[in-house]
Amino acid sequence: MKKIIEVKNLTKEYKNLKAVDNLSFEVYQGEILGLLGPNGSGKSTTINSILSLLNFSNGSIKIFGSEMNPDSYEIKKNIGVVFQDVALFEELTAYENIDYFCGLYIKDKKIRQKYIEDAIELVGLNDFKKFYPKQLSGGLLRRLNIACGIAHKPKLIFLDEPTVAVDPQSRNNILDGIKKLRDNGATIIYTTHYMEEVEILCNRVIIIDKGKVLASGTLDELKALSLIEEKISIEVNDLDLKYIEEIKQFRNVDEVVYDDNHLIISYEKGKNNIIKLIDYLKDKNITYNNLYVMRPTLNDVFLSLTGKELRD
Amino acid sequence: MFIHNFKYILKALFKNKMLIFWTFAFPIILGTFFNMAFSDIEKNEMLDIIDIAVVNNNEFKDSVIFTEIFKNLSDKNNDKRIFNTKYVNEEEAKNLLEDDKISGYLIIENSPKVVVTTSGINETILKYTTEEVSQYEEIIKNLTNKIASEEISTNSEYLNNLDELNNKIYSRITKLINENNVNIKNISSNNLSYTMIEFYTLIAMTCLYGGILSMSALNCNLANQSKKGCRVQMSPTSKKIIVFSSVLASYLTQLVGLILLFIYTIFVLKVDYGNNLPMITLLSLVGSLAGLSLGIFISSVFKTSENTKTGIILAFTMFGCFLSGMMGITMKYIVDKNIPILNKINPANMITDGFYSLYYYDTLDRFYFNIISLLIFSALLISISINSLRRQKYDSI
Repeated sequence: MKKIIEVKNLTKEYKNLKAVDNLSFEVYQGEILGLLGPNGSGKSTTINSILSLLNFSNGSIKIFGSEMNPDSYEIKKNIGVVFQDVALFEELTAYENIDYFCGLYIKDKKIRQKYIEDAIELVGLNDFKKFYPKQLSGGLLRRLNIACGIAHKPKLIFLDEPTVAVDPQSRNNILDGIKKLRDNGATIIYTTHYMEEVEILCNRVIIIDKGKVLASGTLDELKALSLIEEKISIEVNDLDLKYIEEIKQFRNVDEVVYDDNHLIISYEKGKNNIIKLIDYLKDKNITYNNLYVMRPTLNDVFLSLTGKELRD
Repeated sequence: MFIHNFKYILKALFKNKMLIFWTFAFPIILGTFFNMAFSDIEKNEMLDIIDIAVVNNNEFKDSVIFTEIFKNLSDKNNDKRIFNTKYVNEEEAKNLLEDDKISGYLIIENSPKVVVTTSGINETILKYTTEEVSQYEEIIKNLTNKIASEEISTNSEYLNNLDELNNKIYSRITKLINENNVNIKNISSNNLSYTMIEFYTLIAMTCLYGGILSMSALNCNLANQSKKGCRVQMSPTSKKIIVFSSVLASYLTQLVGLILLFIYTIFVLKVDYGNNLPMITLLSLVGSLAGLSLGIFISSVFKTSENTKTGIILAFTMFGCFLSGMMGITMKYIVDKNIPILNKINPANMITDGFYSLYYYDTLDRFYFNIISLLIFSALLISISINSLRRQKYDSI
């Protein structure tokens, strides 16, 4: 597959802090690459360094096969960026905002008009074209922010936490829009700390923390790194402590948590665990509800790799 | 791309209510208050004749110009007289001042000096009258020297006939003065308006408040100042084009605000800025350039919120205008007397003083001094800002 981005040994230091530490990775044409990490892990710094907005201490960055620098206008023509913070003119309408940013890339007014309509359609802002940013809800603002970044139909799109603090409806709309962009041939780098979004969207994921790559690969490859293979959740009222202690002694059990009448058992290996558990509950005459089995999440992978939760 | 960016930045500036309030509405509101507050004061002040003393030493007696003008300005038969003058020795002058019987006294020792104990309108009038007479005297001296050397070089016999030389010089000066209309304005209570200075400072304030516009426009372009700047800088449009078109849009907006203020003060408040339209235009353009440079400097050098930057520009401008006489001409006089360098580097005073000199003096030396000072001020701030403006990558954003 064709390499769109090639980052080698990228290091960015702020005084005594290494925000990005010898980071290397590649992005291939047509994929959505997830950059997953907790707040402050170096995701945005990595993006801003790739975009040549930030000076970096060491390393090299190539985009579309060429060295990226601030004057790389030919490269910039094909890049779209949606920053974490909403970047809009309060004095311009939604349509004017998109037109302004799109106009920095596309001179031809007719083409621009068509592109703007497409962007508005993509993010679902048809009814809000003449609205000013302050008249829009948080979710709609985020959608407008995305439209401003992608209206010029870039081949490479950077989306830096585009769904922070949005309502579920807007989030679904945004995620659907991103899938459409990928289907239209764009390559996307998607940074987030929401693992669910990564699981829905990304072909490949790079997990970073403290500026370092902890792991990278497809979702299945990453989940294989988890120390847990299966989790069982079961609702039990007023479970006696002695039963919890007995369950902890079961084979393959890694951890047992009982909280708010919910028992969650994590298993290192995942064969026949549920049958044994049901047999035990029957045997002890314990009544239960809502029993379900969960596969390990990226959070479990992160936990296994760092010993802390992704959102800590 | 230039027109595209220019058009949208212009639109954004004109639709920003906060910016429009400070640069368009606030000066007009303040001008209205000035007019309401000072028009009566001026009428009352104009009726007063100021008690002063002149130290009647040899230097004063030798200065025909000072003697004649002060005599004329104190003449009881002159309807437009402004002084009631006592001719005394220095000791007596000091006593009169200590006893509060006079506002101040004039003494000529090498150069004319005004001695006062307090700062008020009377003292300020005495000071500025003395300044103007000095300037008049300077013009005459220069003309005399020039003509004398010309006449002697053409006819060396004049050296033996000084009376004839004096007559020749006198007739040529008179002719030159008549031909070139070289004279200082008639210093009288009719045309020496003390509230005019307030309107000059108002224009200065509007020019410098324009800095808020350029600061705001530029903030949208710089990646280290705003997320909009990051987005703009990621576009394939050259930073030079973006910055230049934005700054030009802010300058145009600033000039529109200034024109509105001129229209309002001239046609509604009946303020007279004089008849020298080209020079008034020049000073307004250069004054606005100083405001523009201030905004560019604040935007590119300080990394803080836009509201804080606006606050810095407002505070700097108001303080500058206060020093140059916005709250009373006395302050300008105090600064001129005690810390003259402060008014020499204060852009608000440069603009105020430019208008003042344009209105009260026929010669343009002082006016051009202010124009050049404003250009130096602007060039200095832009030079400091350029390094930051040219930067394409940042250590942090």
